[in-house]
Amino acid sequence: MKLLQIFIISIGVFVLASCSTKISYGDATAVETTTTGFGSTDLQTIAEKLVDDLLVFGPIVRLTSERRPVVFVDKVKNKTTEHIDTESITDTIQTKLLKSGKFRFVDMTTVKAIQEQMKFQMDSGMVDPVKAGIFGKQTGAEYMLYGNMSSIVKRRKDKKDVYYKFTLKLVSLESGIIEWASEKEIRKSSEKTLF
Amino acid sequence: MRKFYITQNVVKIMALSGVLTSMLACSVNETATVVVHDDGNLTQTIESNSDLLAANLSIIDTKVGFVGELLRAQVEIRNASGDVLNFQYKFKWLDKSGFEMAIGERPWHPISITPYESKRVQGVAPTLEVNSFTILVQD
Repeated sequence: MKLLQIFIISIGVFVLASCSTKISYGDATAVETTTTGFGSTDLQTIAEKLVDDLLVFGPIVRLTSERRPVVFVDKVKNKTTEHIDTESITDTIQTKLLKSGKFRFVDMTTVKAIQEQMKFQMDSGMVDPVKAGIFGKQTGAEYMLYGNMSSIVKRRKDKKDVYYKFTLKLVSLESGIIEWASEKEIRKSSEKTLF
Repeated sequence: MRKFYITQNVVKIMALSGVLTSMLACSVNETATVVVHDDGNLTQTIESNSDLLAANLSIIDTKVGFVGELLRAQVEIRNASGDVLNFQYKFKWLDKSGFEMAIGERPWHPISITPYESKRVQGVAPTLEVNSFTILVQD
């Protein structure tokens, strides 16, 4: 009887312990394999691979040896069936390229905010005209980065295979010539096991 | 009574296996540190401890060069064991003073090497200040 009581109490303690919420910080660069869906490791791997490829490509090395070309980042088309924040990937790529000291960027997502600020500086009468910014002084981009992301998903019984392909291209805005392109492929698979 | 002892032993073995597995997991071994000196010479230091990966993995070749002032490193890793080794690696980039660059920005990369085979991994320094690197592996 006593043994049964101890057993029931133990089960109760175990259930209570397993129900408690535990919050902890983890390594943001750790390999994440929670699901076969697009994850942080995929984003980081894609960004690192493509940035490394771009920085060591011969013509780009020559191009960036004397000056820092101005680039505009276009959206990456998400052709997968998943919702993937492709802007997050291009943001990481842009940040890495900027930090490399080889490229400069113009940000088209802030054009409206910049315009409003410039108008305020010029028209509000609150800013010293000598220190106010002047319209028409911005630098135009010479190159555009754009790309595609696609996936192939296959399922059979308890097996799932996901293949991602991320393509990035650098095109000269003036000539329309693709100066550089690279791809990163990722294969992830999962299998339901008994244990 | 006999059944109880068997169950107890099984639990002990399972607990021991759990502890061993958790000890093996997430252990980081610095396997190679390469420093590029101003005269272009390299200093390579290979460090390993008696862990699972350190026992089975070896750095058999290291290539270092500059592409447009950025350090590029290529490391050939060999699996000396008869089993497929699944592990993760990442590059740690350091400047002349030994400061790590792009802390927390370089991800761990999953990699798999078949028995007695070798694979090359490559990385490009994140900034112009980098002149040395360390490759880290973990299981």
